Amino acid sequence: MRGTSGDGAAEPELGLGLSTVGDYAVISVTGEIDMYTAPKLREAVRQLSSEGRLKVAIDLTPTEFCDSTGLGVLIGARRRLSDAGGSLVVVCANPRIRKLLDLTGLDKVLDVREAVPGE
Amino acid sequence: MNGSKHDRAGRAEPATVRFSFTPAAAYVRAARLVAADVAAHAGVATGLLDEVRQAVGEACTRAVLRHRDRGIDELVRVEFSIGDRFVAKITDNAQDLRARSGGRVAAGMAGGERRANDHEAIEEDTLSEEITLIVLGGLVEDLVVTGPDAQGRTTVSMSWPLPGSGSSTDH
Repeated sequence: MRGTSGDGAAEPELGLGLSTVGDYAVISVTGEIDMYTAPKLREAVRQLSSEGRLKVAIDLTPTEFCDSTGLGVLIGARRRLSDAGGSLVVVCANPRIRKLLDLTGLDKVLDVREAVPGE
Repeated sequence: MNGSKHDRAGRAEPATVRFSFTPAAAYVRAARLVAADVAAHAGVATGLLDEVRQAVGEACTRAVLRHRDRGIDELVRVEFSIGDRFVAKITDNAQDLRARSGGRVAAGMAGGERRANDHEAIEEDTLSEEITLIVLGGLVEDLVVTGPDAQGRTTVSMSWPLPGSGSSTDH
């Protein structure tokens, strides 16, 4: 099992890459977003907003797996950023995750795009 | 939406994989990976394996959330059986407060009645439990959520087709 640090133990299967594209702080997510790893993504958004980076793009294109917990984080991130006067863009050209967004109706609630604005 | 075919295959006793896990987030991944592996072994079409993995993960997530909400440490139970169809059953031990019993889920996204809780993570978890049911309802054609039974357990039952009878296992 993963989830513990230390010699030989697997780390959570989630990778977050931070970059800047235009006005947006971009979090590029690799690996799997589930209820175990989602807090890491939630914390990354919280950290950015606490630094005043209120235009955030979460890039799910390289994400291997996302479950409902991940969707919950997206909704929470959107609310947090909007409440602070910012915005969230979800970048997703990944058909599996697009399907998830579609069937939950979140494609209409979230600002879902094929690429980071300005990219 | 018919659970009647779940329990017995039209031939010998179905092959079964059964396990349980402590209701912790760390183990949900193991459950969904086992699901996909058992389903693949059973002969579920390759194109459906992602759906199996996602759906079993969602059902396990829901069970863990329900246990966590209520401070229940009892194990979440998972059973896969291979008969006429590949059947997955995920059973929690949480007293049912929110499950929509015995029918296709058509939950709305609002969750407004839970908003009184202002802790962000808990709110997201609550939302996530709602979303698990929405995802399951959208993903899985044969889905039944039942309970609570006399012990307060609810069960998510799902099934997927297998290749024609007699070719559903490759032992």
